[in-house]
Amino acid sequence: MIRNYIYVLGLIICIGGFSASIPAIAQQSSAKVAVPRITLPMIEGSIKLAVFGDAGRGSKDQVDLGRVMADYREAFPFDTVLLTGDNIYGKDTPADMKLKFEDPYKTLLNKDVKFYASLGNHDTSNQRFYAPFNMNGEEYYRLNRKDVSFYALNSNYLDKKQLDWLNGELGKDKNGWRIAFFHHPPYSSGERHGSDESVRDVLHPFFVKNGFDVVFTGHDHFYERVKPQDGITYFVAGAAGKIRKGDLKERSPITAAGFDSDLSFMLVEIAGDDLHFQVISKAGNTVDSGTIKRRD
Amino acid sequence: MMGIVMKDVRKAYEIVLPEFSKYLTFVLISVISVVSAMAQTQVSPKAGSDVSEFISRANLYVRELETLKKTLTKLSKHSTAEEISAYKNELLKIVLAKRKGLARGNIFTRRSERLIRLIIASQYKGRDRALLKKELAEAENASVPVKVNAVYPEASELLEMPPTLLLALPELPKQIRYRFVGTHLLLVDRENHLIIDYMPKALP
Repeated sequence: MIRNYIYVLGLIICIGGFSASIPAIAQQSSAKVAVPRITLPMIEGSIKLAVFGDAGRGSKDQVDLGRVMADYREAFPFDTVLLTGDNIYGKDTPADMKLKFEDPYKTLLNKDVKFYASLGNHDTSNQRFYAPFNMNGEEYYRLNRKDVSFYALNSNYLDKKQLDWLNGELGKDKNGWRIAFFHHPPYSSGERHGSDESVRDVLHPFFVKNGFDVVFTGHDHFYERVKPQDGITYFVAGAAGKIRKGDLKERSPITAAGFDSDLSFMLVEIAGDDLHFQVISKAGNTVDSGTIKRRD
Repeated sequence: MMGIVMKDVRKAYEIVLPEFSKYLTFVLISVISVVSAMAQTQVSPKAGSDVSEFISRANLYVRELETLKKTLTKLSKHSTAEEISAYKNELLKIVLAKRKGLARGNIFTRRSERLIRLIIASQYKGRDRALLKKELAEAENASVPVKVNAVYPEASELLEMPPTLLLALPELPKQIRYRFVGTHLLLVDRENHLIIDYMPKALP
C-alpha cells in the first residue's frame, strides 16, 4: 500500500517537472522583452557593437528581431553593426532595400547606428555602393575602431586580388585586435551547409599566421560558437531573418554553444585584451555569453 | 634547395674528376637543371597560349565596358538604392546594344575551355566532385538562363566560387566573375549581371 503511494507520488513529481519545463520553452519563443538584461561589463570607452546576418527578408520575424535589437540598444548603446551577409534576399530594388533593411532597422538607423556589410550569396556586388552599408564602394575593406581592425571579406569570391589586398592591409595594420567577418563559415555544425572547407583551406592558415582572434560568419541559419580552432574563435551568426530549426548537429565535436530554435543576434564589447559577447534571442533571452582573451 | 644539391654535386666531382672536366660537368648539370625547371613552368596550367587569348578577350570586354561607363554618371561610394538601380539598368542597356549578336565562345576559346575543364577535374575528384555537384544542384539558381547576353536574375543565388578552385583558374579582370549554374561555368559582369559567355558542362 505504502509502495503504491510512493509510486503515485513519484508519478506526480515527474509529470509536474515535465509540465513545468514546457512553459519555460514556450515562454522563450513568445515572450515580449520587458527589460533587457545585459551581462556585458559595460566598460566606459569600450567598443560596443552588434553582429548578425542572413537577415534581409522583410519578414515579420526580421522586424520583430529588429525591435528587440533597438530595445537592447537602450541598455547597451552600440554604435556599430557588423552584417555577416545575405543582407538582401531576392531582388534589391529601392522598394526591396526599404522593406528588407531600412524599415526593420529604422530605429537603429535613426539613432545613427552605422551598419557595415559583408556580402553573402544572396547579395549583389552593387550593394557595395549603397550608403547605409558603409562599404565605400568596395567588396572587402578594413574598418578601424580604436585598437581593433575589422576585416570585411567577400567569401563569395575569394580570388587572388582579394588575398593580395588582405596581405597588404595586414602589413600596414598595427592594431592589437584582428577580427574578420564574412558570410561562409569555415567551421559550422549545420546540417544544411556546415563548414565551408574550401574557404577554410584558404583563410584559416592565413588567420592563424596573422594573429586573428575572432571570426564572425553567417550562412547557416542559427547561432553557433565553435570551440577555438588553433586559438581562433569562430561564430556563426546567421539567424537574424529566418531560423532553420534543429539544423545544428546535436553531437558536433566542434560546438562550444549553439542555439537553433529561434532568431538571435550578438552583442559584443571589446575592452583592452577582452572581447565579451552576449547572444540574445528574439524573445529577449540570453542564449550564450562569455569572454574571449586576445592572444599574445 | 637546388643550391644545396648543386653544392653536393660539385663536392662529389671535386674528388673524382680532373680540373677541366670537373667544371665542364658542373656547367652541364646546371644547364640541364635550368632547362628542366623551365619545362616544368611551361606545363603550369595558368601559363602559355592556352589562356592568353582567353584573357585578352576578357580584357577587351573590360576596356569596352569602361569606355561605355564613362558615358554614365558615376556611382558615388554612398549612393541611394534608386541611384544604384538606375545605374545598373542604364549600364545594362548600353552594354547589350554594343554586344548584340555575340554568341557562345566570344570570350572562352576552345583551348582555354579544355584547360579549364582539366583544372576543374583535377581540383575536384571522387567524393569532392560529388559534393560540389550536390551543392550546385541544390543552389537556388535553377532559373538562370544559361545563354550569352542573358541577365543573371537578381533574385537568384550567386553561388560561391570555391576559393581553392578560383585560385587555380586563370585570373580574370575584377569586372568579370566566374559563376557556376548547375555544371555550367558562366562569365558574369559583376555590375550589370550580364552573362557574357559560358562553358557548358564544365564540371565533369
